[in-house]
Amino acid sequence: MSIVDLLVTIVVVTILVTIVLAVVTYVAYKLRLSREPAQAEEAGGLQYFVEFRPPRIDAEPLTEGSHGHATQT
Amino acid sequence: MSGRPSVWSGLAVVVISVGLTVALMIAAMLVGPAIQAVIVRMAVVSLIIFLTVLFLRYFALLWFAYLGHAERNVLGVRELKRLPPVSILVPAYNEGVVMERALTSLMQIDYPEYEVLVIDDGSKDDTLRIASEWEGVRGRGTFRVITKSNGGKASSLNAGIAHSKHPLIFCMDADSYVEPRTLLQAARHFGDPSVGAVAGNVKVENRNTLITKLQALEYIEGLNMPRRAQGFVAAVNIVPGPVGMFRREALEEVGGYDTDTFAEDADLTLKMMAAGWRIEYEDTAVAWSEAPERWRDLVQQRYRWTRGILQAIRKRRGIFLRPFPDFPLWVSTLQLAFEALIWPVMNVLAHLFFAIVAILFGSGELIVYWMILLTLLDLVAALVTVSMEEEDLSLVPMAFLYRFVFILFLDVVKSFATLEELFRLEMGWGKLQRVAGT
Repeated sequence: MSIVDLLVTIVVVTILVTIVLAVVTYVAYKLRLSREPAQAEEAGGLQYFVEFRPPRIDAEPLTEGSHGHATQT
Repeated sequence: MSGRPSVWSGLAVVVISVGLTVALMIAAMLVGPAIQAVIVRMAVVSLIIFLTVLFLRYFALLWFAYLGHAERNVLGVRELKRLPPVSILVPAYNEGVVMERALTSLMQIDYPEYEVLVIDDGSKDDTLRIASEWEGVRGRGTFRVITKSNGGKASSLNAGIAHSKHPLIFCMDADSYVEPRTLLQAARHFGDPSVGAVAGNVKVENRNTLITKLQALEYIEGLNMPRRAQGFVAAVNIVPGPVGMFRREALEEVGGYDTDTFAEDADLTLKMMAAGWRIEYEDTAVAWSEAPERWRDLVQQRYRWTRGILQAIRKRRGIFLRPFPDFPLWVSTLQLAFEALIWPVMNVLAHLFFAIVAILFGSGELIVYWMILLTLLDLVAALVTVSMEEEDLSLVPMAFLYRFVFILFLDVVKSFATLEELFRLEMGWGKLQRVAGT
């Protein structure tokens, strides 16, 4: 096999493998989308889980040199 | 726009496209020698046309990018005498993992006066809690947080515009971070009263894998270089989401962001250009962004970009029939349509065609010489663009994989996305998984 034939083989295989990988990855992405849960129903629909939001603590006023992080006792 | 995307229709598009291609390949094998000779001649003609378009595109972009670079370095920009205050908008949806870094960078900005407004778009994680801890005065900036029910990035940005108060508005992403002088470098362009927006320079921060290094090169060569070229005629066609500064007056004139596309940045930029505003590019207004590290996440991102851009173009398709009076707008929109709609399909079909002809008819030498030529061109373009941006030269060797693997991969994805958009299949936002690289 000459060097040109070798290069041709490498180039053709690279093109085809890249295209096949792109198609496969695209299909995988589409299949992943099909497994995502649907949007929650609007108010009035069934809800099995209720989201918990911790009560917001008002931050301390910032003073010079402080980070002002709120603390929860 | 929301709702479960039509997955099976999308898969049908893939199956039909691949099936047709395979059928054509088999048909090519079964035809007689006379027709095969015609096919080979068609391959040569296609190669010449494809290469001509490729070279013209490359040289035009490189030339105008160089002109823009040289003009900036020699003439500078028309600067503001006094820097006006800026409102920085940070829309966030489930960005708790990465947002702290963005806010920290905003605290370190070198600018006389600015406010930061984080808009929580109904996040389900601890985004709101993290943002709330930042409220108050931080460095030279004042940080505020507003929260709203989930409505998408465009609606978040519109809410931010409504709640902000300064004459310049800087929009960024919660998964990006800016450099201390980013605002300064962008703001000085607004000394020209006809400038409506300035597009900044997005760079990839997480360059730790092959896929992210290729994206880093792509951002420099494939995104920023065209913006630099478009900036020479002040007709940048996309002000990127991670780093864009706008004149409030211009935003209010065009009615802010529309919520009917998945590429609100492209949509808004085209809207502003159509209203007559100049859109400039500033390569020193830098924002570092996290690029997808998994191939499926990359597919998701590029799928959304492609369909969003096509949606934005479709809304303004009348521009294609009106080259005057705004010729730069016409060229810029044409270039956007070409890059999003025509070039990916042309690129994939050309590669596939040549591979098939090489396998079936043994015309491989032609392809090898073509590949060598293109690789050399890619290396030169990579060297020029990386040097213009004073970037890491170790990205230049990525050019060997850039066209025949990375861009070909993306163009296959873009082609399928284009077909889905042409058939108006439903789509959703999806959400990339954040990794918050160190």
